[in-house]
Amino acid sequence: MSGDAAGVISARARAHIDACVAKYPQERKQSAVLAALSEVQHENGGYLTTELMDAVAAYLGMARIAVYEVASFYSMFETKPVGRHSVSVCTNISCMLRGADDIVAHIERRCGIKTGDSTSDGRIYLKQEEECLAACCGGPMMMVDHKFYEHLSNDKVDKILDDLT
Amino acid sequence: MISPDMVTIEVDGKSLQARKGAMLIEVTDAADIYVPRFCYHKKLTIAANCRMCLVEVEKAPKPLPACATPIMDGMKVWTRSPRAQEAQKSTMEFLLINHPLDCPICDQGGECELQDLAMGYGAGISRYSEGKRVVQDKNVGALIQTDMTRCIHCTRCVRFGDEVAGVRELGATGRGEDMQIGTYIEQALVSELSGNVIDLCPVGALTSKPFRYTARAWELRQREGIAPHDSIGSNLYLHVSDNRVRRVVPRENEAINEVWLSDRDRYSYLGLYSPDRLTAPMIRTDGGWREVDWDAALDFAAAGLRAAVDKHGAGQLGALTSATATTEECYLLQKLLRGLGSNNIDHRLLHSDFKDQDRAPLYPGLGQSLAELERRDAVLLIGSNVRKEQPLANHRLRKTAQRGAFIAVINPVDFDFNYTIGAKLIVRPARMVAALAGIAKALVGGSKKSVEPKVVDMLASVKVEDTQRAIAKRLKASAAPTVLLGNLAATHPCASSLGELTAVVSDLCGAKLGYLAEHANTCGAWIAGAVPHRGPFGQPIAQPGLHAQAMLDPGLRAYVLLGIEPELDCCRPAQAMHALRNAECVVSLSAYRTPRIEAYGHAMLPVAIYAENTGTLVNASGEWQAFGAVVPPPGESRPAWKVLRVLGNRLGLAGFDYASTDEIEKDLRAGDAGAGAVARGESDLSLDGHAAAELDLIPYVPAYRVDPLVRRATALQQTPDAGDRRLHINPRVARRFDLAEGANVRLQNGEEAVELSVTLDVRVPDDCVLIYTAQPAFETLDAGTAPLSLQRL
Amino acid sequence: MPAVKDYFRSLLLGELLKGMKLTGRYLFSRKITVQYPEEKTPQSPRFRGHHALRRYPNGEERCIACKLCEAVCPAVAITIESEQRADGTRRTTRYDIDLTKCIFCGFCEESCPVDAIVETRFFEYHGEQRGDLIVTKEKLLAMGDRFEQEIAADRAQDAMYR
Repeated sequence: MSGDAAGVISARARAHIDACVAKYPQERKQSAVLAALSEVQHENGGYLTTELMDAVAAYLGMARIAVYEVASFYSMFETKPVGRHSVSVCTNISCMLRGADDIVAHIERRCGIKTGDSTSDGRIYLKQEEECLAACCGGPMMMVDHKFYEHLSNDKVDKILDDLT
Repeated sequence: MISPDMVTIEVDGKSLQARKGAMLIEVTDAADIYVPRFCYHKKLTIAANCRMCLVEVEKAPKPLPACATPIMDGMKVWTRSPRAQEAQKSTMEFLLINHPLDCPICDQGGECELQDLAMGYGAGISRYSEGKRVVQDKNVGALIQTDMTRCIHCTRCVRFGDEVAGVRELGATGRGEDMQIGTYIEQALVSELSGNVIDLCPVGALTSKPFRYTARAWELRQREGIAPHDSIGSNLYLHVSDNRVRRVVPRENEAINEVWLSDRDRYSYLGLYSPDRLTAPMIRTDGGWREVDWDAALDFAAAGLRAAVDKHGAGQLGALTSATATTEECYLLQKLLRGLGSNNIDHRLLHSDFKDQDRAPLYPGLGQSLAELERRDAVLLIGSNVRKEQPLANHRLRKTAQRGAFIAVINPVDFDFNYTIGAKLIVRPARMVAALAGIAKALVGGSKKSVEPKVVDMLASVKVEDTQRAIAKRLKASAAPTVLLGNLAATHPCASSLGELTAVVSDLCGAKLGYLAEHANTCGAWIAGAVPHRGPFGQPIAQPGLHAQAMLDPGLRAYVLLGIEPELDCCRPAQAMHALRNAECVVSLSAYRTPRIEAYGHAMLPVAIYAENTGTLVNASGEWQAFGAVVPPPGESRPAWKVLRVLGNRLGLAGFDYASTDEIEKDLRAGDAGAGAVARGESDLSLDGHAAAELDLIPYVPAYRVDPLVRRATALQQTPDAGDRRLHINPRVARRFDLAEGANVRLQNGEEAVELSVTLDVRVPDDCVLIYTAQPAFETLDAGTAPLSLQRL
Repeated sequence: MPAVKDYFRSLLLGELLKGMKLTGRYLFSRKITVQYPEEKTPQSPRFRGHHALRRYPNGEERCIACKLCEAVCPAVAITIESEQRADGTRRTTRYDIDLTKCIFCGFCEESCPVDAIVETRFFEYHGEQRGDLIVTKEKLLAMGDRFEQEIAADRAQDAMYR
C-alpha cells in the first residue's frame, strides 16, 4: 500500500524533512507535513503530484487522504502544473466594492485565460481565489509572487504583468 | 441524595440530572427532548460543524451547539425558544443553499434527515438565487454510490473511517466553497465496514449501490433478522418490498454489533436472487435430471438412502452440513443420521486435524462476551485475520488496542490490522506450533504453575526468541489477558497441537481462551450434535462416526449434503468430488443448482436460506438468536427443517413430528441436562505434526467466499476481499524460483496442477505460497498433504 | 280541511295539469340535450380523464420513478417498478394504472414533480377484456404522444393558478 518514499523524494528533500521532523515530538511526525510538502513542491517545479503526496504520506506515516486534504486546503500548494508567476486578485468584500471583479475580468481578457488557468507560455498563473489578504485599505489589491500591489487600475495591472519575466 | 459527579440542569423548564461533563445533546436525547442535528452521532467524536443543534443557554451571549456544550450545574437551556429556533432555521437556510432539489430521484428521499428537518426548520422558498455548487462524483467501488453534490459536509463518514473503520479513505479536500468529501483520487473503499457510511450519511450523498433506484423508503417493510456469515451474529433489519429483500441495515444491539454491520452481512442478500437458485425438487433418472414434485423427490431420496443403508450398512452413510445451517437443521440432520444408525455427520469441512476433538469444549465459543473482549489488556491472536473474518469482533479488539492493550499475533500471513500490533510472529504454517511453543516455554520459565510432563518434554527442544519472550512477559503482566484462536488455527494441519498449546499458554498466564468461530452457526452445529463423536449438548457417543475428512477419503456409498458446495467448501475439493462422484446416492439439500451437484448428485432438494428461513443461530459468545422468515422462498423451495422432517417421516424414523422450529429447539434444549459433561480424551501434542516441505501452501478462504450465499452476492464479488486467482509469494521466494510479477507458473499439488500468474506479496513469509481458495479455479487442487511444487511456464 | 282540498284537486286532474304545464314549457324552450357522440359538451382545461405520461421535447420520457404518485394515490391504482437505466438515470421499468380502481382525483398529477403523469381530456375509452383497463407504461406514453399539444396548452393555460 505505502508508496516507496525513497524512490520519489530526493535525498536532499528527505534530509530537509528529517530536520523538520526532528523539531517535533517523536509521535507527532505528521506535524512536518507542511514543511515536507513545501520542499517536495519546490523541487518538483512548483506543484505536487499524487505520487509525491503519497510519498510524503508514506514518509511521515500518515493516511494518504490526510496529505491530500492538507495539500488541497492551503493556497500555497498546487496540485497541477502552473505558470511561473502566481497572480491572485482579492475578491472579498472590500476589494469587490472597489471593483476587484473588473480587475479580474481585465486580467482574464488580457491574458486570454480564465481564473485557475495558466498562460500557454507558462509565465502567469491566475489563481482561482484568494481570500482577504488583509490589505482592505488599499483595495482593489492583488498579490503577485507573495508581493502586494494595491490601489489597482487596469493600467497599473498591465504594467505589473508586463514586468513579469 | 445525588452523587457528587451528577449535576442538575434545566432544559425547557424541565429539571434533568446527568453526569457532570456530559454533552448537552446526550442529556436531551436521554430525556427524549429532540434537538436537530446532522454531524453529531453517539458513536463518533464530536465535530460540531453542522451547527444545526444550536440551543439557547442562559448567560451565553450566543446560541451554543448542544453537541459540544458540556453541562454545568444549574445550567438553563431552551431548545425551542425563539432565539434557538431562529438559529436553527438560519443554519438550515445555509445548509439548503447548496443542496440540490433532487429529492424525487434521491434514494434517501423519505428517510432523509435533511428532508425531515427541512420540513421542520426550512423556509418554503429559498432566498438564494445564484448557481449551486456541483461536485464531480468519483466511483468508490461496487458497494457505495456517491452523489457528493448532496453532501452537507457533516464529516460523519470521514470520522467513521478514522475512528471506527480504522482506515482513512474519505477526507475533506479543498476549502471554503470548494471543499469536497471524497477520496481525492479515484479508488474503491476497502474497509470491511465501509457500508456503514450509508447509514451514517444524513443525506443522500452516500447510498447503497446495489439498492440504487429499486425502491422507496416508504414502500419497504422492516423485518428483523440475524446475519448469516460470521460468528458474531449481528442483528439486522431486512427491508422488504414485493416479497423481495431490497436491502439490509443494522439493528442496534449494544451487546453484539452495537450500531454497525459488516459489508458481508449488509450485501450478502444479493445472493438470494442469483439466477442459479434451485426452485423445484429434481431427481436424476436414467434420462438425466428431471423436475418432480416434493412427494416424488422425497420418496426418491428416502428410497435411495434406505437402499444404500440396507446394502452397505449404516456406516456407509454420511452427512455433511454447512456451519451456516440453523441449529434446528443441524439437530434434525444428526437425528436423521443417527436414526438410521450412522454417526457420520460433520460440519467441519475445512478442518484437517481432528485429533483433539474429544477434548474440545461443548462449542468453540469466545469464552467471554463481546463487550468483555473490549476490556482486555493483552490479546494473543493465533491464526486469525479477524479484521476480515469477524469484522465486528475486530472492532472490539480495535477499541481494546486503542485503550492501550497489547495485541500480539501468530499468523502465517502478515494480515493487515487497523490497530497497532504489539508483537507479531509471521511464520510459515509448519512453524506456527513452534512459534506458539516458544511463548509457552517463556511462560513456563517464570511460572509456579505446573505443566503436564508431556508438555515439558515437548518444549525441551524449543528455542525461545526475544519476540516470544516479550509476548510472554506482556501476557503474564496483564490483569485481563485473552488468547484467541482464529479460522486459520482451526483449519491448520496441526490444529490439535495448536489448540493444546494454546490451552497451556492461556492456563499459564491466566488468560481467557476463546475461539473466533468460523461460521455463523459453528457453535450451534456443535451444540446440536452435528459432529461424529458427540450428540446434542455434548452427549457422549459410544461408537464415534467418521469426521468430514474420513468421510470423503476414501469415501462412502451415500451422502446427505446440507447447504454446501463441496468443491468450494471442503479443504480438499478434489477428494470431495471424487468421493461424491463414486457414491451411489447423494441427496443435496441446496438453495442453488450447480453443474457440480448435477454431476455427482442423485436428488436436489431446494431449500430456503437466510431471510427465507426460520431457525436459531448461536454466536461465538453463546447467544441463541432466533429469526423468522421474512420473504417466501422461490418456487417450490422449502425450509430445510421441513424437508428433513418429512424425510425422517418417509424413512420411518420416530420423533420427526415437529410442527415448528420452536418445537425442535425445545426438544434440543431438553437434552441440555448433560451439559458440561463433555468427554475428555488424551492430549495430542507434537511439534512437527506435519513435516516441513520445501514449500507450504496456505489455502486461505477469502472473507467473501465463505459460503454459497456470499459467493453469489455480485457486488461483494467485485471487491478485493473476494480474493484473486493468483499465486502470492514474497519477493525472496520469487527470486529463488526466478519469477517476476505476472509470471505464469504451474502449481503442482500431488497429482493435480493449476496454472496461475504470480503476484509478489510481502505479507507471505518465506517458503510459502498463498492462494485464495473457495474458487472454481482451485477445485482440482488437493490442498491436503500432497507435496507442493512450483514450475515456471 | 286539507284532505278535502286534496281530494278535489286530484279529482279535477290539478296535479296532472300542473305537470303538463312544465312539460309544455320545456317543449317549446331551447333544447340543451347534447347529441353525443355527434355533439360534445365543452370541457375545462382542468378536465380529469384518461392518464398519460408525457415526454420532453427531445423525446426523453419525463417520469423519473420517484413514486410519489404511487404513494399519494388514494385508490392504490398505480404500480411502479424502477431501476437505474444504463445511462445512470432513474427510470421506471413498469408503470401501470388500474383504471378500474382509479377515482380520477388528480392527486397523481398534482404530486408529480416533473409533470410526467397527467390526466388528459380524453374520457372515451373502454375495455373489452379484463386486462384492457390496466394501462401500461407503453400505452400511457402513447397517450402522451397523442395528446401532447392539448396537454401542453392546457397546462400553460392553468399555469398561473398553480
